[in-house]
Amino acid sequence: MTELLDLPWPEARAQASPREIVEASLAAIRNDRLNAFLHVPPSAPDGQPVAIKDNIVTTDMPTTCASRILSNFVSPFDATAVARLRAAGASIVGKTNLDEFAMGSSTEHSAFGPTRNPWDPTRVAGGSSGGSAAAVAARMVPAALGSETGGSVRQPAAFCGVVGLKPTYGRVSRWGLVAFASGLDQIGIVTKTVPECADLLGVIAGLDAHDSTASAHAVDDYAADLGEGVRGLRFGVIREAVEKLEGEVRANFEEALNVLRGGGAIVEEASVPMIGYAIAVYYIVANAEASANLARFDGVRYGHRSAHSPTLEDLYFHSRGEGFGAEVKRRIMLGTFALSSGYYDAYYGRAQSVRAKMRHDFGEAFRKFDYLVTPTTPEPAFPIGAKTADPLSMYLSDVFTAPANLVGIPALAVPSGFSREGLPLSLQIMGPHFSERALFRAGGYFENETGWWRRKPET
Amino acid sequence: MKVSREEVQRIAALAHLAFDDAGLDRMAGELTKILSYIDQLSEVDVRGFEEHGQGTTPMRDDVPRPSIDTESVARNAPAWSDGHFVVPKVIGD
Repeated sequence: MTELLDLPWPEARAQASPREIVEASLAAIRNDRLNAFLHVPPSAPDGQPVAIKDNIVTTDMPTTCASRILSNFVSPFDATAVARLRAAGASIVGKTNLDEFAMGSSTEHSAFGPTRNPWDPTRVAGGSSGGSAAAVAARMVPAALGSETGGSVRQPAAFCGVVGLKPTYGRVSRWGLVAFASGLDQIGIVTKTVPECADLLGVIAGLDAHDSTASAHAVDDYAADLGEGVRGLRFGVIREAVEKLEGEVRANFEEALNVLRGGGAIVEEASVPMIGYAIAVYYIVANAEASANLARFDGVRYGHRSAHSPTLEDLYFHSRGEGFGAEVKRRIMLGTFALSSGYYDAYYGRAQSVRAKMRHDFGEAFRKFDYLVTPTTPEPAFPIGAKTADPLSMYLSDVFTAPANLVGIPALAVPSGFSREGLPLSLQIMGPHFSERALFRAGGYFENETGWWRRKPET
Repeated sequence: MKVSREEVQRIAALAHLAFDDAGLDRMAGELTKILSYIDQLSEVDVRGFEEHGQGTTPMRDDVPRPSIDTESVARNAPAWSDGHFVVPKVIGD
């Protein structure tokens, strides 16, 4: 039955009943050897199976954010994106693993163990949406939701060889997405193919009375230009991002550019001088917001409460000290530092100014180009444990993805081939705000020309 | 930027996080390393970009609406009694 799950959803649907497909998906998830899933329902309704990252709330399964501090939490309501999926006929078949509170780039910071890469189980799946990416890549489920703050959908999608979209900031309601950094957070989509991604964005995008940052910008017909090709479209290659690339990532990227050129696209060098500061800006801005957002986990209203709490103040300190993992504490500490008296201007203020300058850079580049492209990641999936001792080296794996979050623009990761060791590589296509339809056009062309999604991991 | 153990204690108090002694030392080393990387931001000329934040958040109409019922809230509470969260006394002995 697994063969059904090798097909894009419309083709699978044409060959079997939704019941058969849901059962095939549930069977594959129950046999999960990658630790991609944290919760599986006893049964699921008929419909398109979709997995949900476990920081997006659902009423029928727990939402733990892969943290001990929320290990028993069950939401009284569904996230808007989940409610819209259900209303459109999707069947929620499980909740996927992540770095605790979406803080990480490898899913190794999950309190429930790392997710393994389906192409090589000794390597990471990427993160923080590693469970969602691994589940789609391993053909356990046709589609999954993830969330992005600095690349947490695109980076694991790249590591697992699947399609990952970060929509424009505000395109999808965050109601029910457990907040990490509210000025950056956005729900994203993981699928095998670009058309499936376009279809799902049409379902979950749009205004929401529960999230005042959800945009009133009209929801597009995202699949409308999928067959239009790239003739005459202008792609800018960000010089400052690619000049230091080496080896097979560079060669693969050049091949990807040639595929675009072959379709009649204009491919030229672009300049975004501030892009090299993205990680430094990101870790100040995101963690400053996180330090405020995670103040809600206090052991009073939900989640872990320390047994060692003779006073209310002890309860706060020890519930948080026991409940949060090392990476989450590190980030809360960094964010608290950046906002604290005496350091605010030098760190938080300066990071926001550099971010504003970066936004200006991107705006200038998009006057000349329809798209900006880079590899999605500077290297393929790394071995489990390779970066856990050095937080900074882990942070740098988001060097190409974090800029889109800081600027608020949409970006699409599309499989672009494999390394000599058989690990997936990925092309990132960025566009101006609300250009998702155009991203799918370019990504759809690239996918049709290359067909990398058809290759399937053995595990 | 070098972060001292005392500075880590000050930040941990602000963040309401308990650390043991080894944890404080480890955090001082890690924050020092991460902030040394972040300090490259000081080389950027940001004149003309001194803006903080972007856009405005729209306001909704201020009218009463149903909210989550207390029974659902109680289900996730670590300690709950008679419509209230139960916590230890605020001032110690």
